[in-house]
Amino acid sequence: MLGYIAKRGVHGLVSIVGASMLIFAISRLSGDPVLLMLPPEAPQSLVDETRRHMGLDQPLWMQYLIFAGKALTGDFGNSYRWQMPALDLVLDRLPATIQLAVAALLFSMALAIPFGVLSAVHRGTWIDNFGKGFAMLGQAMPNFWVGLLLILVFAIHLEWLPPFGHGTPAHLVMPAIALGWYPVAAQTRIIRSSMLDVLDSDYIRMGRAVGAPDWVLIWKYAFRNAAIPLVTMLGVYFAAMLGGAFVVEVIFAWPGLGRTVVEAVFSRDFPVVQAGVLFTSILFVLSNLLVDLSYGVIDPRIRRDG
Amino acid sequence: MTMKPAIGLLALAALCAPVVATAPARAQASGELTVAFGAEGTAVDPIKYAAGVDHYYIGQMFEQLVRPDPSLKETNWLAEKWDISEAGGKPVIDVTIRKGVKFHNGDLLTAEDFEYSFRKLRDPKVSRWSHLQAAVERFEIVDAHRFRLHFSEGDGSYVANQLQLWAIPKKYYEQVGEDGFSKAPVGTGPWKFVSRTVKEDLKLEAFDDYWNKEHRPKVKKLTIKIIPEDLTRVAAFKTGAVDWIDAVPPSMVEEFTKMKGVKTLSLVTGNNLFIDFNTDMKGSPFADVRVRRAAAHAVDVDAIIKSVVFGQGERYVQVGKGSAGYDPNLKPLAYDPKKARDLLREAGYPNGFDTPCYNLTTPREPNIKEVGEAVFAFLGTVGIRCKVQGLEYGAWIVMGRRGRSGPPIMDGVISWMWSQNLPGDPAIPWAGHLHSYVEGKGWGSYSHTADAKADAMVEELKRTMEPTKRVALIQEIARYKNENVLGGLTTYRPKVTFAWREDKVEFNPWPYPGYYRGFQDVALKK
Amino acid sequence: MAEASPRLPRGFLAGLRGRVGATGLPWVSGTMLLLVVVAALFGEAIAPHDPNGFNLAAAFKPPAWQEGGSLAYLLGTDNLGRDVLSRIIAGARVSLIVAAYAIVFSGVIGALIGMISGYFGGRVDAVIMRLVDIQMSIPSLALALMIAAVLSPSLSTVVIVIAITYWTWYARIVRGEILSLKERDYVALAKVAGCGTATIFHRHLLPNVMNTLLVLATLQVGQVIIFEASLSFLGLGIQSPEVSWGLMLADARNYITKAWWTITLPGVAIMLTCLSSNLVGDWLRDTFDPKRRQL
Repeated sequence: MLGYIAKRGVHGLVSIVGASMLIFAISRLSGDPVLLMLPPEAPQSLVDETRRHMGLDQPLWMQYLIFAGKALTGDFGNSYRWQMPALDLVLDRLPATIQLAVAALLFSMALAIPFGVLSAVHRGTWIDNFGKGFAMLGQAMPNFWVGLLLILVFAIHLEWLPPFGHGTPAHLVMPAIALGWYPVAAQTRIIRSSMLDVLDSDYIRMGRAVGAPDWVLIWKYAFRNAAIPLVTMLGVYFAAMLGGAFVVEVIFAWPGLGRTVVEAVFSRDFPVVQAGVLFTSILFVLSNLLVDLSYGVIDPRIRRDG
Repeated sequence: MTMKPAIGLLALAALCAPVVATAPARAQASGELTVAFGAEGTAVDPIKYAAGVDHYYIGQMFEQLVRPDPSLKETNWLAEKWDISEAGGKPVIDVTIRKGVKFHNGDLLTAEDFEYSFRKLRDPKVSRWSHLQAAVERFEIVDAHRFRLHFSEGDGSYVANQLQLWAIPKKYYEQVGEDGFSKAPVGTGPWKFVSRTVKEDLKLEAFDDYWNKEHRPKVKKLTIKIIPEDLTRVAAFKTGAVDWIDAVPPSMVEEFTKMKGVKTLSLVTGNNLFIDFNTDMKGSPFADVRVRRAAAHAVDVDAIIKSVVFGQGERYVQVGKGSAGYDPNLKPLAYDPKKARDLLREAGYPNGFDTPCYNLTTPREPNIKEVGEAVFAFLGTVGIRCKVQGLEYGAWIVMGRRGRSGPPIMDGVISWMWSQNLPGDPAIPWAGHLHSYVEGKGWGSYSHTADAKADAMVEELKRTMEPTKRVALIQEIARYKNENVLGGLTTYRPKVTFAWREDKVEFNPWPYPGYYRGFQDVALKK
Repeated sequence: MAEASPRLPRGFLAGLRGRVGATGLPWVSGTMLLLVVVAALFGEAIAPHDPNGFNLAAAFKPPAWQEGGSLAYLLGTDNLGRDVLSRIIAGARVSLIVAAYAIVFSGVIGALIGMISGYFGGRVDAVIMRLVDIQMSIPSLALALMIAAVLSPSLSTVVIVIAITYWTWYARIVRGEILSLKERDYVALAKVAGCGTATIFHRHLLPNVMNTLLVLATLQVGQVIIFEASLSFLGLGIQSPEVSWGLMLADARNYITKAWWTITLPGVAIMLTCLSSNLVGDWLRDTFDPKRRQL
């Protein structure tokens, strides 16, 4: 088991280092931040000097080594735009994104579980079709569109919810819905199909024959089994939420990492792009690692061959 | 400098001190106000000032020597008096600063603080605007409240930019260092720093010992929330979460003006938009003045202002209203598509021609993308067929920037902008986009024009410091520029609409620093 | 799941015909999808107005069924007086072109790499899978944004960006299939018979993964369209004068209270297209292999 964890851990580490190189190279190629930083009338000499001062005239591989060396000591450089340490900016914003991703995940499960179970139990009926249809709707709507419509209806017209910022649980409702809407379909499908598998099994039939009440059978036994694939996929869905957060945060002015990175890409703020995407990647890798580990725990075969 | 007198001495002084003849006892600042900005200043240290938006924060806490008042008239601010003279053929500005001005930490403002500020501002490793101080070769401290700036050559922009020096506390800055100062900035302004959460808010408190007794905030606590999303900012105002917002979306301005209990104010913010043409590339049709004039006649700028930005723009012809050198008699080339087509035919393009047209898509000004599209569509109606290419900000800057040498990359028409600031002075922008590009000299960094006469005039303007001479020169350049459509076709200056609850807030907008977001004069009603 | 006799690949259409009877065609979603395709192909002929023809005087006309609307502009106009219906039709073309190219590119590249990785195994597999991991550890939108910033946004950039983002899915899934397929008897037989790798790929492996690929591709259409809409919405995707539904939503954002139709209708177009392609994809998947539910 330990060997399995270690192996997966090493893979994860390689992924992160590789990702940092990839991000570094791409962002450096995306343009010249110096021109964007200095006022338009700055003479070329000043532009060149600033570029030299920031170390941007060095060859790419050298810049990366300097960056990596500093990063290992926790120094990701100063944001070009905000003139404060990029790492501080990123770590400051990270909790808000995690909070949003978790909330979105909880919301999606709150919908997917009842839909999935009910669809399976009442397979073929209108309940089944309704559940499937509703879930499919989620997968067909861009999350930023859902967000905009939610703001229009619930914040501007009905004035039930606050449209911006964060602080109270009420602030979390709409962003979580907009973000969590999307995976409901896939989760519903998983729950439904694994429930169907289990509901057909012998011991459930035995239970019925013995006269155990339906709801006990469904929730105590069938659902427990059905939940296993869902739980193992939680890591994947969490990662998906992190990715989707980018646009949702922009819509809701959510003070998270996604919004910060989007802005940083536009203003060619390399240190922030670097630090921001790197930390998101770390979270990504960690969640996938958890998924792999739970698979490993559940299915010994994978541990052996993985 | 803080002196702690013995209590006894203090009591004695209180008994003997003459009653200071000021306005009748005013209520202490009280109450709280929450406002929302659509953009955030990136720095709270004026040395680290990078772009106009940084004024939003810096302008609340820091001050300069000269300042335009709400009617855009330049008034002496931290400077009690100042003048320009000559010594040995080189200009000298002699400044006397007010006495008794305190920093937020109690230190008194002296000439030494300005010297420190000057040293930092001219250091390219520290400040992004070091080139603005380049013409000053020596800072001379005459005494605690007087100093002289010795220029190596004339620099008209220095005067036009309110003498460009921020008052920062030397002792405190040296004590806490750059990082420490950013965490706890100290200035002379009406607002004291309390806390800042990046991308969320800035909390300020009224400075009780503020030097200006006449214009000062009567609100005790101010919270500036940052809400870049238009919709959410509007919703925050409508639901009462904030009582004052800037940047009402142009499409909603009408709705806001009709709202009960809400006061709106639309003000020009100092940015100047124009359409630039590539005139110095070989074989470019725009090298012919007739083609440029045709383009000017082809675009109905007024219709664009009315329909695309919902009236949130003020048409300007070379120099905006309220700016130095504004000429109310200078008229734009009229919207006349027939004349445009005639001119094109005259110039040898009876069937028009195709040209690449570059449009900025990032909304640095509201609807700038749609404005560009509308302009290019207008050009198309007379035969200047645009192949539109949208560019986001980073790519757009690179497109417009002149390279080290050789022809520009921008080979057609581009939607551009260059702020002439508030109240407004075109010298620096014209040096950048009217003067031809000269490698290594800082002229024409974003210019696509090469006209020798314009160059000579712009260079002379840079050297001219005396205000009346500057005005005359600016007007002359404006006329020449307008006639020959050089350095681009000026379109409009965007307006920003501010809105606040009339029954709750009293707000008098000061233009600078802060581009009208300065809460110099604000009070809570009832 | 091992089978006694090899399932020799038959024609795709033959398989389709054989199974249609069992599950029935998805009429509604199929027609919807067809409509979108028709709009994409014949857009210029059907659209009542020039999608980029701006007319400031006709700005903000509501849809025909509302007060103030007119039949000339069935779905209303946007802030520059452009006809929303024409723009939606034009957007259909862009959305489908982007989806088609991006899916084909990512599918072909991904499948090829997946096959190589799965078939050859060993070090090649390890290296390729590490590369896939590295790329997949970066959130796709972040990666897309950065690449778009490098390449300067345009239609081709969007295609490239999406292809780069999605190839990894195909690679992983195809690799999984190959891993199980390569142990089959007929593959071993082919090797013994002296067939070259390319032949084995082409004759024996490819046809068997084809079904999976096609189902995955159809399911991806919705995802790709939404991804492109997100990119365009953020400003790094399709640029005007080209029309994309995501771009229409971005433009309409400022007018959400003034012109609800500009922000709802393009979104509805996205939703209906994705819904119908997802349903068709689901049907394909159920038809071809009802057991494979986790796709």
